[in-house]
Amino acid sequence: MLNVLIIGNGQCGNRILDAINREAFGKKSRFAKFYSQQKYKSNVQTIAINTAINDLREMKFTKARDRIHIPHLHGVGANRNVGKHVFEDNKAHIMKHVEERGNFDVAFILTSASGGTGSSFTPLLIKEFKQRFDFPVYALVVLPFREEGTLYLQNAAFCLRDIRESGVDGIILADNQFLKQMGGNVESAYNGINDKIARRLLFLLDALDSEMMMVTDLGDFKTVMNGGAGLATIGFYEADSEIPIKSAIRKALSPTGLLFSTDVYEEASRSMVIIKGDRKYLGIDDISSEVEKLSGSVGHVFKGIIVRNDELPQVLTVLTLESASELENLYSIAVDAINYEKQKKERVINEKEVDRAFSQIDGMDPSY
Amino acid sequence: MLHFRKTLTIASLLMFFILVSAGGASGKVLYNDTIDEGDGYQINDYVIDVAEVVPQHETVFINIYEGDSDDPRYEKLISVGSSFEFGLEGENVDITVISVYSSEIPRAKLAITITDDDIINSRTLGVVEGGHSEAELSTTPVLAINKVVDKSNMNVGDVVRVTVTVENTGDGDAFDVIFSDPPQEKFILVDDILGSPGKVDISIDDPVKKIYVYDMKATEAGTFSLNPTTAIFTNSIGESFPMASSNQPTVIVEGSADQVSASLEVEMELDSYTVDRNEDLHGTISIRNVGDAPASAVNINMIIPEGLEYKGDDPSIEIISGVPTVYLDSFGIQQEKEFSFKVKAKEVGTYTLSLENSYLYNDGINSRMQSASSDLMTNRIYVTKGKYDYLFEQPVYVYLVPLLIIGAIAGWIYHRHKQYKF
Repeated sequence: MLNVLIIGNGQCGNRILDAINREAFGKKSRFAKFYSQQKYKSNVQTIAINTAINDLREMKFTKARDRIHIPHLHGVGANRNVGKHVFEDNKAHIMKHVEERGNFDVAFILTSASGGTGSSFTPLLIKEFKQRFDFPVYALVVLPFREEGTLYLQNAAFCLRDIRESGVDGIILADNQFLKQMGGNVESAYNGINDKIARRLLFLLDALDSEMMMVTDLGDFKTVMNGGAGLATIGFYEADSEIPIKSAIRKALSPTGLLFSTDVYEEASRSMVIIKGDRKYLGIDDISSEVEKLSGSVGHVFKGIIVRNDELPQVLTVLTLESASELENLYSIAVDAINYEKQKKERVINEKEVDRAFSQIDGMDPSY
Repeated sequence: MLHFRKTLTIASLLMFFILVSAGGASGKVLYNDTIDEGDGYQINDYVIDVAEVVPQHETVFINIYEGDSDDPRYEKLISVGSSFEFGLEGENVDITVISVYSSEIPRAKLAITITDDDIINSRTLGVVEGGHSEAELSTTPVLAINKVVDKSNMNVGDVVRVTVTVENTGDGDAFDVIFSDPPQEKFILVDDILGSPGKVDISIDDPVKKIYVYDMKATEAGTFSLNPTTAIFTNSIGESFPMASSNQPTVIVEGSADQVSASLEVEMELDSYTVDRNEDLHGTISIRNVGDAPASAVNINMIIPEGLEYKGDDPSIEIISGVPTVYLDSFGIQQEKEFSFKVKAKEVGTYTLSLENSYLYNDGINSRMQSASSDLMTNRIYVTKGKYDYLFEQPVYVYLVPLLIIGAIAGWIYHRHKQYKF
């Protein structure tokens, strides 16, 4: 049995973590936590970390003891520099919580790249993990909507760089901008994205700890994640009716199944394909032909097949990327945003227009 | 001469002692002292006046008056050493002149004896200054009580009116007169028109006075002498007189009486005779007087057995000493009345409700009220198990297990809530 640690940092990480815990109840009602148990195949420990207590209170399916509040007013206000200081001040407290949970085989840290707490805590937390523990640590990073503003874009750019330099074993990208295609209002869109990520992660954990017809294990996952530029994404498809397995695999690799916009056959470096369903759907020839097609482009594909009676086909793909044109686009926008913020600050410093206004009354006293 | 005087004195003393001893032997000495001329000595209604004392002749004029008459009954000249005897209410009174004395007002020493002083009214005994005209004389009221009936022949059930009158035929007023008229056997007093007058005075000047007027109903055939009406009284000086008594008129009653009676029909009905435990039974008590006389003091007690509980309803049913009771002062002929009540079935079982009723009535013959009573019992009332009784008949674990389960669920929910509450 795998020992898995999942940490949700900041508001986005907390919500994805809560979605995972809710999914683990088996998609039951909101009262499921009173009568049901979270069903993880592995030993999964979840921890939510946030400086904003209201964000922690929003979590409904994560136990109170799994929620760590880092007291700093009500958040760090999207300021990563403040967030880093707060983390350093509370590092011992956070690590004590982690160490109390025991030893792990793998850790996933969920965060948004653009926010305050998550984007500033995650690189430092990974760094701390890598110094203390020898298990692999993967970051699942959610990229912001491009129109969310310069501060978020700036944070995303620096956060991703910091995470990559923290010693992380791999970054799994999920892009809100890409995923907003599912539509709906803001709340349902966020919830939908969180659910998508949660379902994929749970499928992955289930697959890594299951007996398979064809085995893919944590080692294979590590190998996949070591490939490419250290960046990865996950594709997933779950059939809601009978569908050929070839179509299911293709849909898992298509933009509708991926968390990050990429051309799989152009940008992927290594891949893992895990297929689950009733034996009748698992035609080895169909699977092999699709896997071969993929391996022809990306090089190596780890293949796992899980037989589950009476279940419709489900396919999960993990893809590491050699390049990411969408990420380059993000960084080019982020550079503009950083420059804009920098120029704005310089203007304020140089012009000191407000100070001049105040200086007019220097040396004067009020008379009554 | 001197010798003669001594001899005379000795002879007088000797005679006095002889007379005294003779008087003492023949009667009671009432008086032995001097009385001034013009004064008198009263014995009952007699006054012995010392009308004139003539010392020169050693004689005394004695006038004896009876009552308030101004004409003396006796006029006597009595010499010293002589006496006079007269009759008084059956006894003999003897007057002896012992001596006379001359002074501004002459006086005589008299010795008065009587053969038996029992008749003497001590309040009128004594010297009366001024003589008989100043004496306080006693009187003798005489009450003539007359009892009459308006009819002397009648049938049973008829009413006779009795009138009692009184008249003072004596020579003085009667005081503190108290009449007594005992109840008449075999008759019922039906109307007391003029009741006892209490303590009254009856003057000789009063006309004939009605004392009692009442109507009596004959209840039995026969010839009856009505009980006399009596009176006790005193005269003006408080002397009591023998009880005066009326005549006793005779009434002849024929035939036989129509006896009547009250007869109460008491019924108790319930709306059901099978009821679940903890349910109510509604009942009605009906009373009807089917007799030919009204009833009084009607008392109906409802006997509620253990296992049933009286729940009230009709305010006319009162709880007296824990017993639901209906009480009616009177209940007329053919009168009907209903009382509703509720009884709660407390315990499973078979019960009966009972009524104990009693009442009084006048049967038209006897002077005393007749009493009657009866009991009544309902059919059996079956109290069966209540709708939810089975809930209380189960073993403890039947209640305990669900409670424990509910408690465990609640505890679990609370535990989980605490687990997930941040």
